[in-house]
Amino acid sequence: MSAGSSLPYRLRPNKAVDRELFLSLLMRLAPVLSLEKYHYVGLGGPFLEDFRLVHARLGVGRMTCIETEAEVHKRQLFNRPIASIECVHNTLEEYLDEIDFETPAIVWFDYTEPKGITTQIERFARTIGAVPLGSVLRITLNANPESLGKPLPSDISVEIGDAASGDRAAKPTVQEWRLARFKERVGQLFPSGLSPEGMTHKTYGASVLRVLKLAVEKEALNFRDRQIVWSLATHYKDGQAMVTAALVVCAAADASVGNLLKEWEFLSTPDVPHRLDLPALSTLERLTMESNDDIREKMAFDLPKSDMGEDPITVFKKFYRIYPHFSRVEL
Amino acid sequence: MTRPTTDQAEASPTKRFFVSMLTRDINLADAILDLLDNCLDGALRLANGGNVDYSQHFVKIKLAADHFSIEDNCGGIPREVAKNYAFKMGREPDDDRDSESETIGMYGVGMKRAIFKMGREALVRTRHGDDTFEVPITSAWLEAKGWDPLPINEPTEASEELAEPGTVIRVDELYGGVARHFANEAFENEVRTAISEHFTMFLQWGLKVDLNGTPVEPVFVEVLVSNRADGPAPFVFQKAIDDVLVSITVGLNTGRSLGNDDEDEPGFERDRSSATAGWTVLCNDRAVIVGDKSRLTGWGDGIPLYHPQFAIITGIIEFRSKLADKLPVTTTKRALDTSSNVWLESLVKMKEGMRIWISYTNQWKNHPRVDQSNYWEDSKPLSLAKTIAAIALRSDVKKSDSQIEFNPQKAKVLPEPPGKTPSSRRVVFSRPVEELRLVSKMLFDVDDEKPGIVGEKCFELTLAKAKKQEP
Repeated sequence: MSAGSSLPYRLRPNKAVDRELFLSLLMRLAPVLSLEKYHYVGLGGPFLEDFRLVHARLGVGRMTCIETEAEVHKRQLFNRPIASIECVHNTLEEYLDEIDFETPAIVWFDYTEPKGITTQIERFARTIGAVPLGSVLRITLNANPESLGKPLPSDISVEIGDAASGDRAAKPTVQEWRLARFKERVGQLFPSGLSPEGMTHKTYGASVLRVLKLAVEKEALNFRDRQIVWSLATHYKDGQAMVTAALVVCAAADASVGNLLKEWEFLSTPDVPHRLDLPALSTLERLTMESNDDIREKMAFDLPKSDMGEDPITVFKKFYRIYPHFSRVEL
Repeated sequence: MTRPTTDQAEASPTKRFFVSMLTRDINLADAILDLLDNCLDGALRLANGGNVDYSQHFVKIKLAADHFSIEDNCGGIPREVAKNYAFKMGREPDDDRDSESETIGMYGVGMKRAIFKMGREALVRTRHGDDTFEVPITSAWLEAKGWDPLPINEPTEASEELAEPGTVIRVDELYGGVARHFANEAFENEVRTAISEHFTMFLQWGLKVDLNGTPVEPVFVEVLVSNRADGPAPFVFQKAIDDVLVSITVGLNTGRSLGNDDEDEPGFERDRSSATAGWTVLCNDRAVIVGDKSRLTGWGDGIPLYHPQFAIITGIIEFRSKLADKLPVTTTKRALDTSSNVWLESLVKMKEGMRIWISYTNQWKNHPRVDQSNYWEDSKPLSLAKTIAAIALRSDVKKSDSQIEFNPQKAKVLPEPPGKTPSSRRVVFSRPVEELRLVSKMLFDVDDEKPGIVGEKCFELTLAKAKKQEP
């Protein structure tokens, strides 16, 4: 886990919404699947906030927190909010290789490192066949196109509509350059027909999710006893852009989970992820936006847009219910 | 001496045996490609020996959980051909279609095999000129004992007509496994990739192939060629062997250094080669094999086995002949006849080309921090034909009436790493990331310098010390 990813949730409102969406999914599934009997496996970071919430909302008893770094692991042992949480000093991959799940599991592959996405995706895809039926799997992947590297300005040309730089024929655009690196990075998982347009800040998340979906669907063809029900996909950015996808591994003939999720307001698949691009708001702004229909008239200014390009007011209206409200408490 | 009786032993094949044998040695994606092959052979026949304008032709393929269909405007099936040959299992010796054109079909099983592979009900509707008719293949016919001829029906309603000459094949009552595949997005992607690779030349010439409503884009299989007459260039060989024109090139698909991306990934090195790394084999413009990295194309046969180090090497070989049975392909058209003379003779040259680049990557792997990409800056990726055309202009190419050959190693146009010494050895080791951060912070004032660079600087420090202490 890199130093940056231990930033507390209050500084990352979009990640907080993303987590609320996942908890909301679990709450919806809980009565049908009896999630309280599940085994929850995740990467807790130094504060194990996800673990505290999963335990509080769902009553999951058996929980395992995996950590590769020795110091963080010791800190987790100190910070763990519930004594029953098992803290393991290992990699998630090795832990999964060594365990035979006795009950269905909830496993959150909370990856942040962009370079290993091919291995991460393959590992996630492979797990759908290794967990008991009913298990819920979730993955977070880095979706920052700049993680593919930065070409020297002299190595690229630009093109907008009909206008292009003189060396356009000889040099790629930055998107074409990224596409070539992306191809190298994902190798055989590269989706046929993916174009340079999928390599912008706005679209890269969708391209990563496409690779993920194809890898999982391909793996699913190998199993006749189970099917994949995609349930939640998000694309968000606080600092680093990330994408997530969650799925339920169901018995092949079982339509109950699919039916249960059909009516869920936040149901989303990797094809159309929720784009969580919420503005940072003052308390007054937030209360105004929640209690008024004519927000644009009431607030005679434009909220800033991020490079994901979503309209902040539309996004707020969709997710205001689970938008976190943090305030300072002095102890 | 025995004498003949009036009794006879039945020796004709049963349908069940025939269908199961026929469909066993082809996979589902290849069966679809076979149907596409037929469309293209149709376009070739339509041109009647002339050049085909592929941009005038389309093929639309639909994969769904409940049916398969493929539709083209490539001329359709003449009624005489339908009556006598097209639905026969295997090709008759008196069927002399295509003797003068570069088609690839030769055994006459493709369409039937594809249909039987997928499902139990099929309808072939075709229009040749103004003559429209259809041939149903029903599950009742499939289950019946004899080999009754199939009916030929003519349209009675407008909806049974076709707008232009061409063929529509529809298969229903798909087998369970087939339906599961057709509904699966990853399988659709696999088919799309296969089409974009195997039919890349036709797609580049303008053929429109549409899979589930989205056009298929060609994949470019190319090698780097420098503009400069003394710049780095691929190995090239061209010669006519047994009525087959063989063209070979082996070169790099990228000038970028190896292993500078995910170097700190744990475990074994991953193969992150693109589909176009390895060998691509073309027969009369169809790619029979794409990106092969196995013994088939020479890897591990007198040269090293394929390894991710070689992911930047691309080889392309093309066989071209008007005589389809001279081409080294098998009935599935997606595999090679490796015992043919033309293949064996070519393989020698393919390996010769590979050795050049294997030793090139060996030289550079001991210099991971030195960028080789500058040397390739003025080079462009070119197709096989363009590569040969470009290399043929060079002064140091060996040219005679019957062949062209260029060896970049002998022509001394390959870049060598600076400070190359034969005594270079590689130093590799692993340390926990916490320790790496500590050392990186001390040396570079940032805690995330690349592990390779941290290690190298540590070695330099110790080396300087060692040199000082030396008496």
